[in-house]
Amino acid sequence: MPKHYRPAGKKKEGNAAKYVTRSQAVKLLQVSLPVFRKLCILKGVFPREPKKKVQGNHHSYYHLKDIMFLKYDPLVEELRDIRAYEKKVKKARSKKNKDRAERLLSRKPSYTLDRLIKERYPTFIDALRDLDDCLSMVHLFAALPAVDRAVDGEKIPVNRVHNCRRLSHEWQAYISRTHKLRKTFISVKGIYYQAEVDGQTVTWLTPHALQQVLPEVDYRVMLTFLEFYESLLAFVNYKLYHSINVNYPPILDSRLEALAADLYALSRYLDANATSVKTKAVTSSGSGSDLEHQQDGKKFDEDELRLAQLQKQLPSNEPGALMHLVEDAADNDDEDAETREFSWEGEGAPFEESDQSITHQVIDRPKQERKHLSRDYIQPQWVYDCVNARFILPADKYTIGCIPPPHLSPFVDNEAEGHVPEYAEAIERLKAAERKEVLPLPGMGKEDLDDPHSLLDIIDRAEAIEAAKRKQKMSILEKQYHEELKLELQGVQHSALSSDIKGKGEAVEEDAGPDLQQIAEDAANMSKVVMPRRKRKLLEAMEIGKERKQAHVHRLKERKKKIDEANKSA
Amino acid sequence: MKQRKQNEFKNGKDKAKVQKLKSKLEEETLRRIAEAAAAEESSDDSTFVSVSEDDDDESLSEDGSSISESGSEQSKLSNDEDVDQASESDNPSSGSDDDDDHQSGDSVRDRDDNDNYHGEDKHGESDDSREVVEESDSSEDEVAPRNTIGDVPLEWYKDEEHIGYDLAGKKIKKKERQSKLDSFLASVDDSKNWRKIIDEYNDEEVELTKEETKLVRRLLKGKAPHADFDPHAPYIDWFDWDGAKHPLSNAPEPKRRFIPSKWESKKVLRLVRAIREGRIKLDDKPNEKARLYDLWHDSSSSGRQGLAYIPAPRRKVGGHEESYRPSAEYIPTQEEINSYQLLFEEDRPKVIPKEYTSLRSVPAYSKAVQEMFDRCLDLYLCPRVRKNRINIDPESLKPKLPSRKDLKPYPTTCYLEYKGHTGPVMTISTEPTGQWIASGSKDGTVRIWEVETGRCLRVWDLGESIDEVAWNPLPELPIFAVAAGHDVFILNTGCGNNEEDKKIEELLHVEPQKAMDDSDTTASIVNWGQDDKHGGIRLKHFKQKLVKKLEAGVREISSIAIHPGGDNVIVGSRDGKLCWFDMDLSSRPYRVLRCHPKDITRVACHRSYPLFASCSDDSTAYIFHGMVYSDLNQNPLIVPLEILRGHSTTDGRGVLDCKFHPRQPWLFTAGADSLIKLYCH
Repeated sequence: MPKHYRPAGKKKEGNAAKYVTRSQAVKLLQVSLPVFRKLCILKGVFPREPKKKVQGNHHSYYHLKDIMFLKYDPLVEELRDIRAYEKKVKKARSKKNKDRAERLLSRKPSYTLDRLIKERYPTFIDALRDLDDCLSMVHLFAALPAVDRAVDGEKIPVNRVHNCRRLSHEWQAYISRTHKLRKTFISVKGIYYQAEVDGQTVTWLTPHALQQVLPEVDYRVMLTFLEFYESLLAFVNYKLYHSINVNYPPILDSRLEALAADLYALSRYLDANATSVKTKAVTSSGSGSDLEHQQDGKKFDEDELRLAQLQKQLPSNEPGALMHLVEDAADNDDEDAETREFSWEGEGAPFEESDQSITHQVIDRPKQERKHLSRDYIQPQWVYDCVNARFILPADKYTIGCIPPPHLSPFVDNEAEGHVPEYAEAIERLKAAERKEVLPLPGMGKEDLDDPHSLLDIIDRAEAIEAAKRKQKMSILEKQYHEELKLELQGVQHSALSSDIKGKGEAVEEDAGPDLQQIAEDAANMSKVVMPRRKRKLLEAMEIGKERKQAHVHRLKERKKKIDEANKSA
Repeated sequence: MKQRKQNEFKNGKDKAKVQKLKSKLEEETLRRIAEAAAAEESSDDSTFVSVSEDDDDESLSEDGSSISESGSEQSKLSNDEDVDQASESDNPSSGSDDDDDHQSGDSVRDRDDNDNYHGEDKHGESDDSREVVEESDSSEDEVAPRNTIGDVPLEWYKDEEHIGYDLAGKKIKKKERQSKLDSFLASVDDSKNWRKIIDEYNDEEVELTKEETKLVRRLLKGKAPHADFDPHAPYIDWFDWDGAKHPLSNAPEPKRRFIPSKWESKKVLRLVRAIREGRIKLDDKPNEKARLYDLWHDSSSSGRQGLAYIPAPRRKVGGHEESYRPSAEYIPTQEEINSYQLLFEEDRPKVIPKEYTSLRSVPAYSKAVQEMFDRCLDLYLCPRVRKNRINIDPESLKPKLPSRKDLKPYPTTCYLEYKGHTGPVMTISTEPTGQWIASGSKDGTVRIWEVETGRCLRVWDLGESIDEVAWNPLPELPIFAVAAGHDVFILNTGCGNNEEDKKIEELLHVEPQKAMDDSDTTASIVNWGQDDKHGGIRLKHFKQKLVKKLEAGVREISSIAIHPGGDNVIVGSRDGKLCWFDMDLSSRPYRVLRCHPKDITRVACHRSYPLFASCSDDSTAYIFHGMVYSDLNQNPLIVPLEILRGHSTTDGRGVLDCKFHPRQPWLFTAGADSLIKLYCH
């Protein structure tokens, strides 16, 4: 009898009964493969890895319960209706029944995804937890050119792009108004932002606001994902806006909208509507000087130098908008609460460029012709670095015309990594110096009053966590030190022994040198001998990983040394 | 044109009907023809154009005629006639009269003229055209073949001089055919030759005119033969309905034309019902935007349906390398970038760090969409498994061993070295009291050393490489056996006192052995003999006998040691594995220890201490704690204690032998570097 023989009439058992391959699933659902794909994407069903792959290794397996979950979803029926409708339209057209075709076209069946969103994310926190991909995708599509274009036979509809842009602006406006931004990072891939919303860290990537390369990929898949993400983000935005007492589909100032200053319009709207946030604007800013960041140059430069083609379409394009976002976060994170506004040059800007109260002007061009003496002209990196440092950095290194200091990723734990870049240390030192000055000032209470949200608590918690971490690290270090000390002691014993022996054995002398190291190594290896093979291999793999990491750090340090030497000699 | 309309009538089968109508239509027709003539003036232009063409043709055809002068005049005539027939096959206006014209023997030019003025003729002589309508009924009449033989195979006339008979019944003579050569030459000379066709029936050469070729071409294309003919002309209803006295059909109007349709009313009713019930909505527009509301309003709802949700891992956020201005140490040098080419594609770094001087100079990331797409694929195509990432301290993987301090004493450090051998020390053996140690080397010498001082007591040179040395386990007889080559020596060490020496001499004294019977197997394997030179017994011709076979699951067993308890065996193998067998437990090893990277040369067990050791060609020796409990439920405890180094490798061999001191926890090791070492606690 063969191994897998199953008598007729007996049910399948185990993995054979629990898992089906994709083609089996498609057959079971009686849909086409594209529809199945769509269902999977919208319902969030993914293949699983059975312990035993009955049909072979090259299939992807779905759990039968997942498939049943799809099968009884009303969406399947809705998609079937759409297919039937499309057939009807086609038939009417080919029969030259224009009336019927038109009538049908006017009532195209559609489906909504709110039920699915609720199903996939039963609580709001769940939705926020999974928002990373959603935001990245929406921001990416928002950066695509607003032209109806067919790529690889699939059209990216322009209204989707517009919708993405609107949603992303709404999200950004919320983040900036409620001061949720925590970290920013300008990478070659785009600009990363990390915000903390309802205790969840949300990280997203916005592409650089330039012409995007559209490779030949299956855009149907991406558009299906986007479909889900759009409605998810709309609902999330709704919830967030209502949490700060603002009506959600925001009604924007049409003048600003026409100027494509969407984000400014949004923030104005938020200011005007949010009663709770409004109090924030009137801060106790008696002590702090009014810092106002003018970021006209940015936009203009981009238009002139890099984005000639976009000049007409986007008079104030994305970076400006993002500046706003960054701006407010920096504002929030600083301990002495200073009011800062941002502006740009042109129609509808809140400040004139010639305004004397401006202290910093963010600019991204090789040099500025007309300069006001009362303000610093700085490069945009300054703002990002300030956000990451949670501290206003001295602007002298960032003035226009000079090359700014290196921009470091805030997402890296330098100490865990083993290599702390020089500039990170410099920032730490500056911060420490600043803290000593600021500490005696009673600035904490004020912000607590100002901020309607319990932001401070969050910060405190974060700090507490950090402190705990530091403590842990310290304890680890201490332990290490003790161990080393112990080893050393042992070594002393050995050396003492060997010195005793010296009189009798002559050859022992030579071994004294590598002895210590050897013994330490032996002690480490000793228990490896009795370990079972599987554990030993695992340990070896871990050691290899560790070594690789160390090698990387070592390489960095070598490079650093070389560069320093070169600088010295130069 | 109008004539062609008439032709349609004419060619129609219902001639009688036409005749009947003719009188009635006569005036009408006339009027129409007049109109048509007027309208045709525009189309006349085209005919005039063709005239000019015809002029060309005319000259050509004259050439043709000059060539075909050899032919009779008649043929020429018929030729003309044929052309006319063809060109006006459906225009019988001239058909009937043509005969007269041709009879008169007009030249080609005349015919052409006739053609050219044809249109004018028409509107000049409308009566004439009317006559045409009357007379020419059938197209067959128009053809007047010269030959009257009818439709018979021409083969019948193959051998005759004539080809047939003309109308008058006279024989038509066959013409002389041009030879092939002549015809070919003619074709070369005459560019019009391709137009010439031989009419077998009438036996004559016909040259097609330009019109005729055009006509043939049009026929080949499947069009109407004449360019002027319009197959899609609007239909003219010649029937006059107004003046009719009687209706065409006298049937009464059916009832269904007066009552409302039942099916229609049913359909309407259905529609009305559908509208009332709201199945058909006429006014409302479909809602454009999805309604937004507080989706997570009621937090009371249950958790996620379906199987356990495995959230996708988050995308990696860039480190310092990905920055647009990374620190200088993150930027690889050009050499390093070049060296990436040598790596496998998947090992290469995805992004090579690069420094941009300002934010405005950063270009768009070319793989942004591609990476997002890959992420999408990962999200819906990648099987997800919840994998417990091993986030443990590697130290915790190591088994908890009892502290080595508690397991003391065991040999740890090299205490003494015994120097003297000149070759690799193959074997050592300790005296049961632990005072002496014997060693055998590859240089052929056996030495006895004092353990505590390292003094060499005695040296024997046996000439052959020593394989094994073994001391007598009885302390009262200090003798030992040496295996060298094929021989075994039992030697007196001279370490004992005088009494013992005597005993030994007695013991070792053997008489020369007599020849034994070959049938006695025990006798045949050993041959005893007195060895005078060294003072002992020499055992010769030693035959090995297999006593027991052991399986350890290792490649090649090199040595075995038996635990003093007797139930446990240690086996060392050539692949560097040490197996601990518990005989009571199973035939398989209780524990396999992979300690040496090279061959294990020897394993040893201590007689009294719970220690065992292994030595290997990697010039190390391991000391283990191997405790066997008297309680059968408790497994033996094996703890590695120490790695003893000190020997150096020569010729790929390291430590060749190791032995424990019989009383102390000391270990002797014999190395290939011709040293013997003593490790003490």
